[in-house]
Amino acid sequence: MDKIRLLLTVITILIVVIPIVGMLLAYQGNLLGLFIPPEVNEIADDLMGGDGDNGMEPPTMVGEPQYDEASHTFMVTFEYKNSFPVDITIKSLSGNIECAEHGFPLGNASLSEPVSIDAGETGRMTVLGTWTDEAISHFGNMHGDEETVDVVLVDMAVDISGIQIQLDQNQMEQGMQVPNPAYEG
Amino acid sequence: MKCVKGLLAKINWFGFAGGALTILVIVVSLFYPWWQLTVGDDLMKINASPVNTNFGFLDTSFTIPFIWALNVIGLLTLLLSGVAMLIYSVMPAKSFAKPLLDFGYKKPLFTFLFFVIGLVVVTVILQAVLSINLPLMGSATSTVPIPFASGVTLRVLLSAGFQWSFWLAAVAAGLCIAARLYHGKVVAVPHV
Repeated sequence: MDKIRLLLTVITILIVVIPIVGMLLAYQGNLLGLFIPPEVNEIADDLMGGDGDNGMEPPTMVGEPQYDEASHTFMVTFEYKNSFPVDITIKSLSGNIECAEHGFPLGNASLSEPVSIDAGETGRMTVLGTWTDEAISHFGNMHGDEETVDVVLVDMAVDISGIQIQLDQNQMEQGMQVPNPAYEG
Repeated sequence: MKCVKGLLAKINWFGFAGGALTILVIVVSLFYPWWQLTVGDDLMKINASPVNTNFGFLDTSFTIPFIWALNVIGLLTLLLSGVAMLIYSVMPAKSFAKPLLDFGYKKPLFTFLFFVIGLVVVTVILQAVLSINLPLMGSATSTVPIPFASGVTLRVLLSAGFQWSFWLAAVAAGLCIAARLYHGKVVAVPHV
């Protein structure tokens, strides 16, 4: 009976020791590799721009912005290249709009509907914005003779496939040109 | 007929079920994790069990060598425990049976407890060191610190839960404990 207990104890010790020692020997020249496998570095390279793309290219505006005078809303279309190595869905995007020249708060903007973009593909997203009454006054007073006005989207919050990115003031402002609602030609 | 009945009465059925279920848990755990964490909309997955732990990021699946070694230990420990319980349970009155029972009945419970304690410790460490709120069960939105990027806040939706294989392991551990408690009654059955 004691022999059986001893045998079981020895087996238990071997079961614990052999895998640990074997792994330590296999990684003796690279102990960090025990905890960080090469796949992690490859993923980090993919995400941080190992192939030249950084995955965070700013969207580019396409087409002419549209403005609805009655509701004070405008619509802008952007193209965005998904340089991440995975399909993504931009579920939401929102932010505040400021006058690029004066920093005056003009209103807010948000994504009209979620957009799915396959890896490496370019997708289109439509952003809807609403001007405040103060913004209309600002457009009239400060940009009355301009047909389009440069504005920036600040304090952006983006939800990409469940990952929410909040950009504070001065972080990756998205510039765009919008029709001046107070322009009278 | 009486002889067969007598032999069946000598079997520790709790031990037999516990041993068989422990081996089934090993097989099941190779394919179904005990605990699963999903980051975002399936962007990243962690499948964890004492037998097989892997990480899935995008289309890449990988394991951490140190955790793999721990999984090998877990697998062999459970396997040996299951076999010991099976041998013991059909011959509980033999002289070698008691050492087999003492060896086998605690292992599934300890493996189960170590797994749960390990998960709790990891979540506490992540909370304390990186302020990442990792849920053991349910969903939570956690803020992830981004080094060298002030002004950028990254929040991720984390969903976690124990899977059915976890509860199967709990049942196996319970049966093995029951086998130990039942041992006295089995060996008290008179010889046929």
